[in-house]
Amino acid sequence: MNHQELQDKINQAAHVIGKTWPLYSFVTANPLSGYEGLPFLEAIEQAGNLLDACLLPEAHVFRKAWEENRIDADEIKKLLQEAGKKESPEHYLAELEAHPTVEHLNENHELDRLTVKWLSLFLDEGMAAWPMPFKEMGFYTAWRKLIIYDEDIKKRLNGSIPKSPEEALSRVLANFDEKEHVKIFERHLAALPGWAGFIKYRVENGSIWNHEYPVSLLEFLAVRLWMARCLMAPIMPKLPEKKDPSLIELKYLWLEAWEQTWQNRFLKKIKENSTQSNKRKTSRPHAQLVFCLDSRSEILRRLLEKCGNYETFGSAGSFGLPMNYRNPENGLVNKSSPAMVPSQYAVHEEPAPNQEKNVHRYEKEGKRIGAYKYFLKRMKNILPSAFGYVEGSGFYYGAFMLLRIFKPNTANRLMLRHHEGYESIYEPHICAIDQKDSLEEILLDEKVSLVKGAFDSCGWRTFAALVVFTGHASHSANNPYASSLDCGACAGNPGKRNARTLARLANSKEVRKVLCEKHGIDIPEDTIFIAAEHITSSDDVQLFDTQVPESHQKILQQLKKDLSEVKKSMTKERLNEPQNAVAMAKIKSNSWSEARPEWGLSGHAGYVIGPRSLTINGEFSDCFLSSYDWRIDKDGSILKGIMQGPLLVCQWISNHYYFSTVNNEVFGGGSKITHNITGKYGVMQGNGSDLKMGLPLQSLMKTDDEVFHHPIRLSTLIQAPKSFITQILVSDEKLKSLLDNGWIHLFIMDPEKNNIIERYNHYSNLCLIQI
Amino acid sequence: MNSKNPSPTTLFRMVSGFLWLLFFLSIVFIAVYYPEAPQWDWKGIFRINGLTLIIWATVTFFSAVVSTFASKYLIGFRYYNRFIALSLGFTASVSLLVFADYILLFLLSWFGMGFFMARLIGIDARWGEAREAAKYCQKHFSIGSLFLAAGMLLLSFYTNQFTLTGLEQHFNDLPFSILLTSALCIIVAATIQSAMFPFHRWLLSAMTSPTPASALMHAGFVNGAGILLMLLAPLFFKSNTMTLLIIIGGVTAIVAQFAKLIQVNIKQKLGCSTTAQMAFMIMQCGLGFFNAAVVHLILHGFYKAYLFLSSGEEISHISPKKHQRKNLNYLQAIVVSILGILGALFFAWITGKGLKLDGGIFLTLIVAITVGQAMDNIIKRQELSNMKKAIVGPIIFFISIGLYALMYNGSTIFMKDLPMIDHPEPLSVLQIVFGIIFLIGFFIMKLEIYENFPWLYVRLVNDSQPYKKTVLRYKKSSK
Repeated sequence: MNHQELQDKINQAAHVIGKTWPLYSFVTANPLSGYEGLPFLEAIEQAGNLLDACLLPEAHVFRKAWEENRIDADEIKKLLQEAGKKESPEHYLAELEAHPTVEHLNENHELDRLTVKWLSLFLDEGMAAWPMPFKEMGFYTAWRKLIIYDEDIKKRLNGSIPKSPEEALSRVLANFDEKEHVKIFERHLAALPGWAGFIKYRVENGSIWNHEYPVSLLEFLAVRLWMARCLMAPIMPKLPEKKDPSLIELKYLWLEAWEQTWQNRFLKKIKENSTQSNKRKTSRPHAQLVFCLDSRSEILRRLLEKCGNYETFGSAGSFGLPMNYRNPENGLVNKSSPAMVPSQYAVHEEPAPNQEKNVHRYEKEGKRIGAYKYFLKRMKNILPSAFGYVEGSGFYYGAFMLLRIFKPNTANRLMLRHHEGYESIYEPHICAIDQKDSLEEILLDEKVSLVKGAFDSCGWRTFAALVVFTGHASHSANNPYASSLDCGACAGNPGKRNARTLARLANSKEVRKVLCEKHGIDIPEDTIFIAAEHITSSDDVQLFDTQVPESHQKILQQLKKDLSEVKKSMTKERLNEPQNAVAMAKIKSNSWSEARPEWGLSGHAGYVIGPRSLTINGEFSDCFLSSYDWRIDKDGSILKGIMQGPLLVCQWISNHYYFSTVNNEVFGGGSKITHNITGKYGVMQGNGSDLKMGLPLQSLMKTDDEVFHHPIRLSTLIQAPKSFITQILVSDEKLKSLLDNGWIHLFIMDPEKNNIIERYNHYSNLCLIQI
Repeated sequence: MNSKNPSPTTLFRMVSGFLWLLFFLSIVFIAVYYPEAPQWDWKGIFRINGLTLIIWATVTFFSAVVSTFASKYLIGFRYYNRFIALSLGFTASVSLLVFADYILLFLLSWFGMGFFMARLIGIDARWGEAREAAKYCQKHFSIGSLFLAAGMLLLSFYTNQFTLTGLEQHFNDLPFSILLTSALCIIVAATIQSAMFPFHRWLLSAMTSPTPASALMHAGFVNGAGILLMLLAPLFFKSNTMTLLIIIGGVTAIVAQFAKLIQVNIKQKLGCSTTAQMAFMIMQCGLGFFNAAVVHLILHGFYKAYLFLSSGEEISHISPKKHQRKNLNYLQAIVVSILGILGALFFAWITGKGLKLDGGIFLTLIVAITVGQAMDNIIKRQELSNMKKAIVGPIIFFISIGLYALMYNGSTIFMKDLPMIDHPEPLSVLQIVFGIIFLIGFFIMKLEIYENFPWLYVRLVNDSQPYKKTVLRYKKSSK
């Protein structure tokens, strides 16, 4: 078989695995994204059979939800009845509980173990001081050159190993029917879905490590299958025993009942709120703040609006900038926009005017920190100074340990890193992504359309004197999953980079001129845009305000005062602590023994796309909120942008949380308690395991047995004319199939029909059911 | 429980408080008695001396740190209470080890240490690999205990002395064959406990334990060997097995330090480092510096407990570009050498090690290399100003050496009544050979010459793999 034939088959097989993103840029992706073309139930049956995993909540999770009255008796009874099940809900719960999870031996143990041994050595991103030899020749070649020394397998290699991975695969597959090849690949990829998923990430997302040390799924399969052949392990592994479909269906009914219960309560709340008199102030607000649609923003928005004359908006945290970001210090590039949307821009930093000196100082500090770190590493590594080093430094380690235990905030200030951000000394510059060396910014028209896009998606036409684009990020100590708490719309990075970039564009005089002349968007002379960062673990909001002129200082100071007031009540509510909540939150975000620095997006269940007036009178802390005003959306194109961007991000987030909760061992990260970081990019459990691909147990569960995040699918409510949505779905097959297949639930509130709410029925094409 | 902000249980908090109290009391005891340690014995069953108090202070410190950390970190863990119970059991065992005078009690506490540690490794009973790891480690610990029992009881029955204090006075009466057999058995027990090559694999298979339990293991369990060797120091002199300790320690130190270089996951890396450090500790014993070994085990405990507890900090996105190695110019090389020698002289002067032609020279050589390497790293960095290089660098070294000397001299004085713990071996050919090997090792590592030996790489990979059955051995499925 030639390379292309094999590659085609592998691509076909690769849908069975998701991508495992590195933990330095965590993406809450749907691990079953390769199955999105199938109905949800069918997808979980197929994937469940291949991975030998149950992809619906465990019986005790339903039991708890049932006891807590999160599943309405009426709903489950109705669904059971419709399915022809006549007994009581209790009866069926008991039936589910009779089927616990069991442990059994892994029949491909030796093959899995050897695969992980060699893969983890190759994939290392800087943990080992002595990297795998021949790494630069690629995985297959490096493995081929080293495996001959491997006592575990060398006696069974019988003969020479093919020079190329293609040849190896062809020889292994020679005795199999052409049609079986894809199946074989599927099963071997699914044997270690986390590791295979990381290779997929490295190949498809342009990792610089893959550039230097290339690996591909083809090489992975060649290595694995050749070793399987030597070990006499099955080339076509048996599938696990098929799951009982009736049990899956029964569980699915419970899931639907749970979802419908939530939806009923949610829709009731929405109806009540939207019919209430709108308390919205009509005068020009003091300031407008744009937040990420993230469910953690809701509480801040709600409390801030109560605090003063502020108007808030929800937008995707990437603020509509499909960009990559280059860190000014180490030059490394990271994606800073939704992972599924290809980036079009590259943002880098340049010294702000008159800040060259500070930039120089900052850079110097960075180099010094790097030098100290390198020094410590070398001292620990080298024989025999490692022994002397331990004796000379042990005392300091002991003292610092005490400090970290008793005074985490103080210890945090002494850590070897920058303690001040560089936002005030640099300015973000936006360039097209494809230009290699030139740092020329994009054309004016492009800038204008980016700014206009941001305003459009928020349904926003009148401007306060101060406008704040607020990105968000989280601070936590000793947390491999720290980036999973950062902005999901920025691919697990802080959103402030996008916020600063947008603010700079919107402040530009030329941009404003074109906006006014060409698009009729008139930004008052006195309006200034600034960026800010909401730290979700401590509830601080830091304003990047160095360029605010004297004239705006009064508003700015008032805003700062209000934000610090809001922080108090926000922390109180978020932590459910009447006393000392602010201090507690601070300690949680600095403490190295805190496994749950914050709850992240756990608990989210809904997504509202519509103006703030729909939600302003109530509490919607379990919802993502996108500001959208159908009235300024002439042809539905703004809505289309939201549905093709933020909605897809929310779908991924929601399904990531769902699958990591229902099967934390396979799709999540397992318990943090026994995590073992590998290669600086991922974690394994204990001595070694599959590479963990999702959120850890502590992000989703209160205890080992009790969920915090309710594993139900996302319910989206859009306020827009039905014709918009019909039109969008007709033109976007993929989006339509996500809805038809039940990966997200959709409700439409049609303002042209007196705001009646209809459910998008995913069983029958585009048929809406009135509620 | 407030699920939005879960907090430790009262029980767990009380246990931590109790451990801190014990630590505090031990320190007060030491302070009150210093410099004359108490010599207390109760009917040949219990005893308290300088080592007892020092180890009590050490083990209660690590237990208190770990339990305070774990009280938060393990919230929601199904075996939360079991964890604290097992940790207490372990702490009690170590405390008893240095408290016991009666041989059977001593052996029981040794077994207890292993028993509780193995339970901690396999604490998550739902996890197949953890159960396998617990079984594997328990097997090692049991064999170690058996060897220890054989070695000790052989001495006891031959001399009819069933207390440690009694035995010490009778070593002179024993035939050499008995001394040697017993010493070898005890050395086997010590090498298993501190994961010396070739018994190192249990330590690298024990990562199924919760991270705080690993901290306790690497700071409080593996160094049981140091305590054991220290308590029986005269035995090794009399049986001429000091050389064997140097060889075991020296070989393991080199192998483990090289194995550490290739590790791609943090806990395995720390595991190799622990083995290397314990090897160095055993080497110190072999050189006759049992007191230095005790200080090393304490300082290494601080170091390793810290690194385990903070092992979640290893995620970072770094560039694949290799660090450019810079070489020193002549002038810099001379400065580095001079500072290295100065550091060593300072060390020798304030600790008294290396002033005579004995094993102390070896230890002083290591100080010289350490200081030299540190200066070498500092001097060639352009990011640091010359002021920093010239003043701050040396000052930090002198303070560090001073702090070390303070602990070393302090504990030596406090433990002076223990027999032969500070009794340097005369300089031997073997010591010189290892000195040279260490120097060669230093240059091999510094210049990264090892990279040209792929077979060595694979060999080290395989020698540092965890036990097969503790990796990917089980799967879970629902029916």
